[in-house]
Amino acid sequence: MITEFLSKTLAAALLGALLAVPAAAELTALTGATVHPVSGSPIENGVVLIENGRIQAVGADLDIPDEARRIDLDGLHLYPGFVHPGTQLGLTEISSVAGTVDTAEMGNINAAVRAEVAVNHDSELLPTTIAGGVLNAHIVPGGGLIRGHSAMMRLDGWSWEEMVLAAPVAMHIAFPPGAVEDEDNEDLRLIERTLDQARHWHQARAAAEAGNGARPARNDQLEALGALLAGEVILVLHANRHDVMTAALDWAQSQGFERLVLSANADVQYIAERLAADDIPVILRSVYALPTRRWEAYDMAYVAPARLHQAGVRFAISDSGGGMEVANARNLPFQAGSAIAHGLPADAALKSVTLWPAEILGLGDQLGSIAAGKRASLFAATGDPLEPMSRIERVWIDGQEYDLNRDRGRRLYERYRDRNRAVR
Amino acid sequence: MIRQLTLTFTLAISGMVAAEADWTPDIEAWNSPPPPRPDSVLVRNATIWTGTDQGILENADLLVRQGRISAVGQNLSAPRGALEIDAEGMHLTPGIIDAHSHAAIIGGVNEASRISTADVRIRDVIDSESINIYRQLAGGVTTINLLHGSANAIGGQMSVIKLRWGASPAELVFDAAPEGIKFALGENPKQSNWRAEEPRYPQTRHGVEQVIREKFQLAEDYRHAFEQAPRGRAARDRVPPRPNHELQAIAEILRGERDVHSHAYRADEMLALMRVAEQFGFVIKTFQHVLEGYKIAPQMAAHGVGGSTFIDWWAFKYEAIDGIGYNPALMHEAGVLTGLHSDNPELARRMNLEAAKAVRYGQVDPHDALMMITAWPADQLGIGERTGRLAAGLDADFVLWNGHPLSVQSRVEQTWVDGRRYFDRQADLRMREQLDAERAELMALALAGDNDGNGNNDGNNNETADEPARRRVHSFAAHLTGYRASELDHDEYCIFHDH
Repeated sequence: MITEFLSKTLAAALLGALLAVPAAAELTALTGATVHPVSGSPIENGVVLIENGRIQAVGADLDIPDEARRIDLDGLHLYPGFVHPGTQLGLTEISSVAGTVDTAEMGNINAAVRAEVAVNHDSELLPTTIAGGVLNAHIVPGGGLIRGHSAMMRLDGWSWEEMVLAAPVAMHIAFPPGAVEDEDNEDLRLIERTLDQARHWHQARAAAEAGNGARPARNDQLEALGALLAGEVILVLHANRHDVMTAALDWAQSQGFERLVLSANADVQYIAERLAADDIPVILRSVYALPTRRWEAYDMAYVAPARLHQAGVRFAISDSGGGMEVANARNLPFQAGSAIAHGLPADAALKSVTLWPAEILGLGDQLGSIAAGKRASLFAATGDPLEPMSRIERVWIDGQEYDLNRDRGRRLYERYRDRNRAVR
Repeated sequence: MIRQLTLTFTLAISGMVAAEADWTPDIEAWNSPPPPRPDSVLVRNATIWTGTDQGILENADLLVRQGRISAVGQNLSAPRGALEIDAEGMHLTPGIIDAHSHAAIIGGVNEASRISTADVRIRDVIDSESINIYRQLAGGVTTINLLHGSANAIGGQMSVIKLRWGASPAELVFDAAPEGIKFALGENPKQSNWRAEEPRYPQTRHGVEQVIREKFQLAEDYRHAFEQAPRGRAARDRVPPRPNHELQAIAEILRGERDVHSHAYRADEMLALMRVAEQFGFVIKTFQHVLEGYKIAPQMAAHGVGGSTFIDWWAFKYEAIDGIGYNPALMHEAGVLTGLHSDNPELARRMNLEAAKAVRYGQVDPHDALMMITAWPADQLGIGERTGRLAAGLDADFVLWNGHPLSVQSRVEQTWVDGRRYFDRQADLRMREQLDAERAELMALALAGDNDGNGNNDGNNNETADEPARRRVHSFAAHLTGYRASELDHDEYCIFHDH
């Protein structure tokens, strides 16, 4: 009896100790690198102190406590991990193999869908994305008109639960293009009717809780819309074509939604003034896109970030977010880099894939810059990480160094490089 | 008299130079005048990436005469009347060669019916009006290889074109390019990713290998039949062998008169095709995509096949699961003639960044990386003696960049083909002004005029009620975007098309 009790206690203690390892109060000092905080000027030979997965301090002349583990990064450049503002990473593995694809639910009303629960934490695409410096991503569900809730996730973890940084982040609505010229558009009527039903349902439930009536029958879809109606989550409107975007914004404002984000292609530059005036942030889906129309200038999509910036619009640069591009989410920083060639200031380009997506999606206090109190989600690169020629050498996620050899590409590279050299 | 002649000559030259400076393209190829070809052009003080053993030359000059490169070096002197370009702070590279494109083909890229369509020809369907041509010039591309899709094991005859925006289809064809043909292995020819209404043989990789071998056997017999057919008087009253365009094209491969460029992803199927080729005594010219090339790079080098690959496209189908960014570095290190291609009209406009990624993944030397989009694809297409490098005697196909050509922050300023400035950032800006003016004019006319043809200027331009709704829906996308479907076509996405 006593033995059993002891062994149980011992086991519990051991388990506790094991679990405590990742969260140990170990102090780590990253030294010698040029630190690019994003929120401030670069710091040559800077120090970043990390404790409990968070950044404790950043500076040039920090006192490094004796107990701190020092990691010398001489010659490298430290940046905060990129934040992808909208992707289906984890929801798809091989887009031509249906069994691996969970990107779009059927039906028009999918308000009750939660993207994070379908994220495969062992997807082969994740280590490759991390090796490209993209350490956090807004994971977005894709099917129907009302598409469900998205989540902000770090891209490493032992389960999707461990990866979630915030959920729900936003409710997603694909605005029907047909509603631009048709007041009686069926799809828009369906969205409005659903929202009205949700309003009534939540009123009824509130009344029931106050003792003024019977509880309404459970309805998962209507219940899920409560966070949106209460202003607790962002409404992300998906639209391509500037007239659809304008109609979507008019509609959303007429519905009384105040926390709006527009997820849109390069056509969004044509409504930049309105977006600036109403302070509606944008997730720009792809700088690497052909002009929307055949007769437009060849650089139409390349200049979209610069046009938004000049107009004073808050924006984050994304890729198309779905389909074949999911496996190439690692290229996100290069889209921001290419915007520099076409007029976007370099500091804005860096922010458009770090601090701004974090802020726009409500995680500005946790992600997007190297600053005290933020998650220690950062990487060391050989140079400007918006340049494809630069290499990413080391990565930390919540203070833990990430093993870059988990990237399938690196593993295959090393294996076949050694073999090919041996047979030569 | 002589002085007067000289004066006239000089005036003519300066007049021409002025015309060169004013030249403005049009968004429609049929309305775009060919840019003038200055007698001589001297680009001064550039950083020149030669694509040759000379490597990168700092503060160097490039001299062009009559559309050909005449000299590359320091302190070249300008011939009288030469167009001089001060390229201080700029980089000069060979024009980009894209060895895998579908960017200017009318209609679909796949003749997906039979397992072998060796008899069909891209040169019959070149779309000289495709806006992709102009846009790719704006990305520094000067030559592209138009290929059929990958729906069948033996596809059609390819066509290498120069991006001479405004020229006719026949004038686009690069006459120096050897004949070639597209082959395809793996999931696409075996119809893995779409439901064929009537499945056809083969449905496996070993079936694809078999059908290709059999076609070569038939072509060999066909060739022998022609070689052994009596000629001259002996042929009188004899039935000659029946011509067969398909076997004719395959027989040309056996005679070394047609190069095979084969779409392939996996190591097994590439190895198998090399062995079939060796059995019939020829060498596969390139594997296209070649994602697992790094796994058999020594065997590829021994066979002598080139590798034309993507950096990024992986994991979109099962056969692409082992695609890695390091593939170019590993193939190159093993001695494979390595190039990077687009297969996509959007990606084609930033091939310089694909080269930059070859530096990122495996630390390829930057000049070698640039050769992966210039000299080496030119060699793969058999046009390396004419383009892809900056050396005396070659066509004056070159690009001026406003910075390091592999930097994400750089932009193409000018693209020259055959000594003509087909893309110029300044001319492009002029074109935009002209288009804006034309648009404003048309808008004014439309607003002032009678739009619905009912005889009343009533501001009503609705379509008549009996206009079939179906037709409106079908033309909706085209009206909005102006694109033809074929301008957006690219083969790798064909798995999402409704075949």
